[in-house]
Amino acid sequence: MAKHLLLILMLFSGIKSFAQNKFTISGTIRDEATGESLIGSSIRIKELAATGTAANTYGFYSLSAPAGEYTLVVSYIGYDTREQKVSLGKSLVVNISLTAKNSLQEVVIRSNKPNNDNVASPQMGLEKLSMAQINNVPVVLGEKDIVKTITLMPGVKSSGEGNGGFYVRGGASDQNLILLDEATVYNASHLFGFFSTFNSDAIKDVSLYKGGMPAQYGGRLSSVLDIKMNEGNNKQFTVQGGIGLVASRLKVEGPIVKNKGSFMISARRTYIDAFLKLSKDSTLNGSSLYFYDINAKANYHFNDKNAIYLSGYFGKDVLGIKDQFGTNWGNSTGTLRFNHLFSNRLFSNTSLIYSNYNYTIQSFSSNDEFKAVSKITDFNLKEDLQYTLSNTHSLKFGFNLLHHNIQPGSITSSGNSSFNNVITEKRYGLESALYLSDEWKATDKLTLLYGLRLSNMALYGPGSFNTYDAAGNITSSQSYGSGAAVKSYLNLEPRFSASYATSDAASFKLSYNRNTQNIHLLTTSSSSSPTDLYVMSSNNIKPEISDQVSTGWFRNFKDNTYEFSAEVYYKWLQNQIDYKDGAQLIANQNVESQLVYGTGRAYGLELFFKKKYGRFNGWVGYTLSKTERKFDAINNGNYYPARQDRTHDVSVVGIYQLNNRWTFSGTFLYGTGNAVTYPNGKYNIGGLTTYSYSQRNGYRQPATTRIDIGATLEGKQHKRFHSSWTFGIYNLLGYDNPYSIAFRDSKTIPNTTEAVQTSIFSTQVPSVTWNFKF
Amino acid sequence: MKIKNYLLPVTAFMMLLLHTSCEKVIDVDIKDDTGIVVIEGNITDVTGLQTVKISRNTSFDNTNTYPAVSGATVKLNDQAGNEYQMAESQPGTYTYGPLAAIAGSTYTLSVSVDGKTYTATSTMPGLVALDSLSSRNRPTDDQERQVLVHYKDQAGISNQYRFVLFINGAQIKSVFAADDDFTDGRAVNTILRIGSDLDVDILPGDTATVEMQCIDKPVYTYWYSLMQQQSSGAFGSATPANPPSNLNNGALGYFSAHTTQTKTIIVK
Repeated sequence: MAKHLLLILMLFSGIKSFAQNKFTISGTIRDEATGESLIGSSIRIKELAATGTAANTYGFYSLSAPAGEYTLVVSYIGYDTREQKVSLGKSLVVNISLTAKNSLQEVVIRSNKPNNDNVASPQMGLEKLSMAQINNVPVVLGEKDIVKTITLMPGVKSSGEGNGGFYVRGGASDQNLILLDEATVYNASHLFGFFSTFNSDAIKDVSLYKGGMPAQYGGRLSSVLDIKMNEGNNKQFTVQGGIGLVASRLKVEGPIVKNKGSFMISARRTYIDAFLKLSKDSTLNGSSLYFYDINAKANYHFNDKNAIYLSGYFGKDVLGIKDQFGTNWGNSTGTLRFNHLFSNRLFSNTSLIYSNYNYTIQSFSSNDEFKAVSKITDFNLKEDLQYTLSNTHSLKFGFNLLHHNIQPGSITSSGNSSFNNVITEKRYGLESALYLSDEWKATDKLTLLYGLRLSNMALYGPGSFNTYDAAGNITSSQSYGSGAAVKSYLNLEPRFSASYATSDAASFKLSYNRNTQNIHLLTTSSSSSPTDLYVMSSNNIKPEISDQVSTGWFRNFKDNTYEFSAEVYYKWLQNQIDYKDGAQLIANQNVESQLVYGTGRAYGLELFFKKKYGRFNGWVGYTLSKTERKFDAINNGNYYPARQDRTHDVSVVGIYQLNNRWTFSGTFLYGTGNAVTYPNGKYNIGGLTTYSYSQRNGYRQPATTRIDIGATLEGKQHKRFHSSWTFGIYNLLGYDNPYSIAFRDSKTIPNTTEAVQTSIFSTQVPSVTWNFKF
Repeated sequence: MKIKNYLLPVTAFMMLLLHTSCEKVIDVDIKDDTGIVVIEGNITDVTGLQTVKISRNTSFDNTNTYPAVSGATVKLNDQAGNEYQMAESQPGTYTYGPLAAIAGSTYTLSVSVDGKTYTATSTMPGLVALDSLSSRNRPTDDQERQVLVHYKDQAGISNQYRFVLFINGAQIKSVFAADDDFTDGRAVNTILRIGSDLDVDILPGDTATVEMQCIDKPVYTYWYSLMQQQSSGAFGSATPANPPSNLNNGALGYFSAHTTQTKTIIVK
């Protein structure tokens, strides 16, 4: 492995050595009022056309230029652009603060041209959402929702109403890597997917990589959803919150030491169960149904060179019927990060990350009681380095050691229960990775982003490990001691993107990337269920591999006010997993005997048109796509559409600011129905009407169409106290969008059968929330 | 045990709370693939006529009447080398008897229809006694009842069961199958949970009859697959497919050698 690295380093050292007469300008870009770092803000030197960069996740930037007098131009969406004169005779640290625009001003004053990163950067397949947009997009029951909002972007599809998952470019929902301050979030939904686990009050930045994955990310095939929490106001204490129909939330933030350290804590809880208490039914009013989540973060900047961040998330769902059963599940994550500047060109971040997902199901009814527990615990050590070699080369490299401990499900019970204690063996694995990438501005027009990621998966003991044949019979069984290697897989993942600018406002881009995945979700359910089970690559399960090529044309209009992009992609998927009919996955020591393996392919066209600024803004997205799977044991070994295959997908989002107080918003959605399996006939078995099937997913559910609207009324400005009302109507036209279609004996005409469509939200669902801040 | 079953009522009741969900009958355009042979072969440990029914599947849009297959050659072989030729007693129904299947014996069914032969084997499991039935309140409902089956599972052996429930003489159109993965050797109380879309209310005073069958593993997989597809109903069920059958050559249905016991109670 060391050899590989050396080779790579030698390759990179072919790069022109940096000129002696250049000096470095580095620093951090922050919000003037709160001290929050501005992730991805853009900084360039006015006098040198090709010199510019974007601030990293911590707001840090580094640029170099020959000695001289310059003007730095710093811009960020939603902020006033700022120019600062610098006299460069030695390397400088320049920290810059930007002021958030009053949204109305934005319409009038726009002397400086907003940045054209979307065109200039070689990165493609990236969707960035501002929290301002997320906050304005109407959602069901008024709970702002990051995941629901990203499904409005082309190439991203919702798994359906009442389902928290999403599909990116034809991938399955477990092929998305969801990171909250770098920690993996395994179950991104509350209450079976009615709400996402992310409380948008606590979130600062959301980026979704659909393709052209940079080398620093790995471990999942389809996408990376990278979510960063707010750091907290380091200037003053503020409190904000909201009271809604189903949930309330509260956030407190403030300085620990003014300008040096701050904290943020944000919490949310639903109170649907309060309605249950009103019920006269004794079982109902003794039942529980709620979730809560807490986000907390603190940071401290020792000096310009060293900073420490501690962040955590804790969320839990609780459901229960009095004296019958109870279930709860939740994620918790913790991230400790240390930023260090080795020099003004070399930025380092070291992270220690903990992530846990667990669920418990309990039955209390007499003689039937049991308790089932399942959990997955990760510890992750990550080192990321960023080195500004010169104005034309910026390197990123690092390593990652991710340890998994999976308890697949164990059942405990008392002596007089129907159930035995069932303890399935824990599984241990270590995913390690090394990566290196370089962003190279080869010419004024051509920029390349290329890199490699070397990833290794090691499964180790203790435990006994079986190998199964295609029929699911054990062919060999071996016992391993603690720490003994069972199976390992080494993969090299090349990543490459290039952009060629045909003008300031237009570019062509091309990318290729390989991704691998060593942790796989097993579920027999198409809906989001807390009983989701994860398994690692093993003797039987090979790493999933995806190769994606994509190309696109990016064009901005009217001084970057309008963005247009057209991207096409093709993906090859290997070692995809499905399960046999009648598979039993829960607490099954031989769960791997229930699986089948196959391949897949996905391709599509994505069109995106966005108006970024102005009183009226929003976007239109369209996706034309196909995604198919092929398994020997399914559909006679022929390709069939994956459930998430959606030929056409249209989303329109519009936000209109009428005046200082009123903002209106609306979304329109249209999507081809899911690919589903319908019967091709019926027969009688055991006295029951039974259906016969031939083609897998050979039919389509009816298309989904929905319009949602929202409005925000800002309260009158008081000295420090600010309030607003948010109103929304979900499914304005009351369409019956299909959730599922089932076949059954007719309830009206005896001796016949009928097809029944269930819709979750078949009427308008209004919502109102009161928000405050002081 | 299906843990998911415990979660379904909760989702249902959340939707109920929101009062937004709806169900409607829709027209679907279905491509027929009909005329496939359906075989349902059952032999039991009770001495009497053993029966195999043969029919064909029909279009979804037709009524629930299925064309009987007459003139088939139906043979049953046991592992001792005996062959029993089954005779068509009425259209599509083939019988032989009196005969009783013996625990531990493997039986082979062979059906020839229009020059094509379908075979299946099934091994008769040992008897696990049906101890009793009982009833209790259905969770979240003060009026309705559930029926429970009580039996003592045999320790150290893999056992599988199928239950058939009749309320006031009418068969409940749900599949009930259980294995002993989590209950090996225990005194087991199996709740017969009826699919929520069936609109069946079991009330005090009703007569409940349960047939308990001890079945072999492949037959259990068959019933379990059917149960998985039906019980989840609207809530994200598994992708439907024909259940894995022990019959070859593409026939639908199953062949099961099983024990049978029946008990009846008045629901309290």
